[in-house]
Amino acid sequence: MEAIVFEQLSKTYPGGKEAVKELNLSLEQGEVFGFLGPNGAGKTTTVKLLTGILSPSRGSCRVLGVDPAQHPEQVHSFSGVVTEHAQMYDHLTGMENLEFYAALFGLSRQQGTQRAKQLLEQLDLSDAAGQKLGAYSTGMRQKLSLARALLAQPKILFLDEPTSGMDPESVLRVNRMLRRLAKEEGVTLFLCTHQLRYAQEICTRYGLMEQGRLLACGTLEELQNRVSAGMKVQIRAKKVPPALGLALKADGIWEGNISREEEIPKLVRQLVELGGEIYSVSAQTPSLEEIYFALTGAQEVLL
Amino acid sequence: MKRSMYAMIHKDFRGVVSNRRLFASLLIVPIVLTVLLPSIFVITGHFTPDDPDLQQMLSLLPESIQESSLEQLIHQMLLNYILPVFFLMIPIMTASIMAASSFVGEKEKRTLETLLYAPLTLKEIFRAKVLACFLVSMLVSLISFAAMLLVLETELFFLTGSGLFPGISWLVILLLVSPAISLIAITLIVRQSAKAKTVEESQQGAVFLIIPIVLLAIGQFTGVLMLSVWVLLGLGVLCALVAGLLLKRAMGNFTYEKLLS
Repeated sequence: MEAIVFEQLSKTYPGGKEAVKELNLSLEQGEVFGFLGPNGAGKTTTVKLLTGILSPSRGSCRVLGVDPAQHPEQVHSFSGVVTEHAQMYDHLTGMENLEFYAALFGLSRQQGTQRAKQLLEQLDLSDAAGQKLGAYSTGMRQKLSLARALLAQPKILFLDEPTSGMDPESVLRVNRMLRRLAKEEGVTLFLCTHQLRYAQEICTRYGLMEQGRLLACGTLEELQNRVSAGMKVQIRAKKVPPALGLALKADGIWEGNISREEEIPKLVRQLVELGGEIYSVSAQTPSLEEIYFALTGAQEVLL
Repeated sequence: MKRSMYAMIHKDFRGVVSNRRLFASLLIVPIVLTVLLPSIFVITGHFTPDDPDLQQMLSLLPESIQESSLEQLIHQMLLNYILPVFFLMIPIMTASIMAASSFVGEKEKRTLETLLYAPLTLKEIFRAKVLACFLVSMLVSLISFAAMLLVLETELFFLTGSGLFPGISWLVILLLVSPAISLIAITLIVRQSAKAKTVEESQQGAVFLIIPIVLLAIGQFTGVLMLSVWVLLGLGVLCALVAGLLLKRAMGNFTYEKLLS
């Protein structure tokens, strides 16, 4: 069964703002799907539609076969949600917060405590378990939110900027954990972020959003092919003959267009035979950031 | 009851106790109304029983109790006719403060959305929250009543050497009127909670509930309406009906979008 299916999903707010426009998409179980776009692109609204917090204006969506607009509590029973608006209680400790949410998810007291301890350890929060949440840093709060979302061993995780405010070490730890969940436990990850470099590290497929519309969807390779048919090769060399058609980009750095990776050895051979001196060769494929800008024509950096 | 609903009620109880500001605001009104006010009345009545205003008020009391001694009469009037009206403010204030903290407070602190992601229906969340507010309101009312009785009886014992039994009207107040107006206050706050952005804003609706109480107090002091058991029973039944209607309507209007807007 497909994990998530969107059919012409649209959401217009009472004020008239069209936050999501005719979204058509489907996600397989165990996918790490990056839902990317700048602030205001409609990412958070989509998560709210998928969790039943908002009702669609037109179209529908299904999460593991369940319509969240009809049965939100059923969707909540097998999903975990992390968003910046979903906070926990400052007057409770990290452990007490997790125990409370474990009880909401129907775990027994013993199960809840055990699961909370396990997650706190995995996220390196064991030392802060007895501290009131009010004393937590932003990164620690974010990790605790992730622990909360994982309490009932969800089949689907909706993560809205899950690593914001975390230090690099924590980001690595969380990424490892998320990859393992997807790979070993088949958890589907619906990850919303405007940090394209971060998304490229962890996601297996991407959906690029702009002003509520899905601009493109696919794996990195599919998206790369969509924006440019071939690839670039960058060579640091001296005595490069003009006959090869390489363009000088910087001092000693030459660039050429090729259609496939297999053309690189031939190019190198030709260059050597014509008297060129090669120091390094690298194939350049467009990054997710470059793909996004190519698709939107946007000039500004997303962050 | 589901363990999840019990957990929510328990969490809301803890939220009250651990929040000093909230706890203090829950205690101030009951202390003033059940300790300070009765003490002032008892002492005034003891030292100035001949006050003409007081005499005029006592003449309004039913003839059946007019036969008691002057001081007993004053105390009867205090315990069974004046204090019940003031006492009704306790469940209103407690329920309002609790409901505002439980619904709008959670929205303000961004914890409501997290709660809505739990595998509970909106009705279950609503029920658990209303129940938590209701139980706190009832608990504070009962403790206030006990405290009031203790203070009043002790003072009367030291001043007159005898005690006084509360009338049957207190039973109607504690078991019918007080629970019903608590529920009315809670539902009014919940209705406000969809629009209100802050706890203070949401409490404004409950202020209107104080107006009938003030009118009742004026009625008592002027003799326009004496709070007999029958009047209280009628009032209680009416309030219970209104509470039931309001609760049903509030539950129907309770949607994710309205709550988080």
